[in-house]
Amino acid sequence: MAETYTLPVGPLHVALEEPMYFDIKVEGETVRGLDLTAGHVHRGMEALAMHRNYFQNVTLTERVCSLCSNSHPATYCMAVETLAGIQVPERGLYLRVIADEIKRIASHLFNVGIMAHLVGFDSLFMHAMEVRELMQDAKEGVYGNRMNLGQCTIGGTRTDIDKDAARFLRGQLEALKPQLFELYGVFEKDPLIRTRTQGIGLLSEEEARRHAVVGPVARASGVVYDVRRKAPYATYADLKFEVQSDTAGDVHSRAMLRLRETVESISIIEQCLDQMPEGPVKIEGMVAIPAGESVARNEAPRGELIYFLRADGSDTPQRVKWRVPTYMNWEALQVMMAGCQVADIPLIVNSIDPCISCTER
Amino acid sequence: MNEIAKQALENAVGKILGPGSVYWSTDAHNNSYGWVKLCDPESLTRVALPLAQAGARLMTITAYRNDKFSRIEGREIAYHFDLDGVVITVTACVDSDPPKVPSITPWFKNADWNEREFTELYGIEVVGHPNPRRLFLDKELDGDILDRLVPLSTMMNGASTTTLWEKVFAGRQMPDWAKGVKN
Repeated sequence: MAETYTLPVGPLHVALEEPMYFDIKVEGETVRGLDLTAGHVHRGMEALAMHRNYFQNVTLTERVCSLCSNSHPATYCMAVETLAGIQVPERGLYLRVIADEIKRIASHLFNVGIMAHLVGFDSLFMHAMEVRELMQDAKEGVYGNRMNLGQCTIGGTRTDIDKDAARFLRGQLEALKPQLFELYGVFEKDPLIRTRTQGIGLLSEEEARRHAVVGPVARASGVVYDVRRKAPYATYADLKFEVQSDTAGDVHSRAMLRLRETVESISIIEQCLDQMPEGPVKIEGMVAIPAGESVARNEAPRGELIYFLRADGSDTPQRVKWRVPTYMNWEALQVMMAGCQVADIPLIVNSIDPCISCTER
Repeated sequence: MNEIAKQALENAVGKILGPGSVYWSTDAHNNSYGWVKLCDPESLTRVALPLAQAGARLMTITAYRNDKFSRIEGREIAYHFDLDGVVITVTACVDSDPPKVPSITPWFKNADWNEREFTELYGIEVVGHPNPRRLFLDKELDGDILDRLVPLSTMMNGASTTTLWEKVFAGRQMPDWAKGVKN
């Protein structure tokens, strides 16, 4: 039998945006085993959340992660609202959906852009990031910030989108559409992209269910689960969109699925801008948070995000726990990387769109 | 709302704990949330099997102290499952000393990370875990950190510099506590 040796990847590595340590057993150029060591950005945020009051935690949860920074406070607020029986005004719910979908577009374009970079197609990477810039500008124009939007608050949203901001946002979406279709065509047909990503990092439906993976990773393997459809929150029950899925379960199908979801997100934002009723965006004043427990879920860009809140009747939570989508997807790398080539490791890791700050909190 | 999934979960839990053992609540969008309380952590393994057979997916596990400042004894662990959009939370009381629960990894593979995480944060031993090592915290670091009261001021000590207080007390006598001297 050929000799195996250990190849350490990380915790700091050019292919990783954030620190994670992979202990990879290699035989020649082929991966034979994988061990993960996490914890390099563990910040004890759940402990902090138990020391801060309900409002301070809105700000804290927005800082768990940058790419899905709106999903965290939105889900946290939903958990608080469910527990306290707060009814969010309908306009506030639509505004939350808009913020979530803008973040989804920016997050997905970032991920597919990085994939192009890892393939070695740097001009496509730069192009994808340039297209994404339209959404970054939209965020800056509408919310005044390019990453953390500060939009959610308990009982609704902090700011409204007035007519001017709505017109600007529509303009950005219109500009995005043709560019996105062009980008989709390149990712779909380019021989370099296809050679490097098709049939790589395979995850069968059976394995996807066994590892209970979520989000685009699950949907690209045929597990058609989207919280927006399965357990609709905010105004998703009133919006038309297709849950994207695939059965190929490889790196390429995950990227294509993210691009298709981006197209759906544009349509969702446009529907929100059309349908949004006039009225208040948040409740007046603050309701006391009673003792009890609640669960809230959200479809973040990387998949299902869950918050569990337990309150003891004081102004700080007894326990807030959140589990991010990436947390579920790490172990499935064992399957995706089995027998792959060393050169494909970064591509496969990137295909789960890993968020390590989220995972470790 | 998914009545079929709700019924399947109710039947799965009812098989072990008897009918009517699930309390149901809904959110503002009419999604269902089931709540089950187990006083004996050993019944966890009995409930895990029918839930796995019903096709439920483990979403996450939350351990917590009954009193977050650890003034009274007692811990609970909440296991959150999903079946086709319906959430069920099975909460087990952990009163034994030292605290112990059986692992549910034989039925839910993804319990692996979750169980390791609450072991390192709350010092609860998981019996039968296939890989019982630390998850996020290095073995050099103190364990069970959420199992005892750590005041926020202590928690923040390592992360604070004296820069802020130097500005606040600029031109004046800076008190000892602001100099970062340990009490």
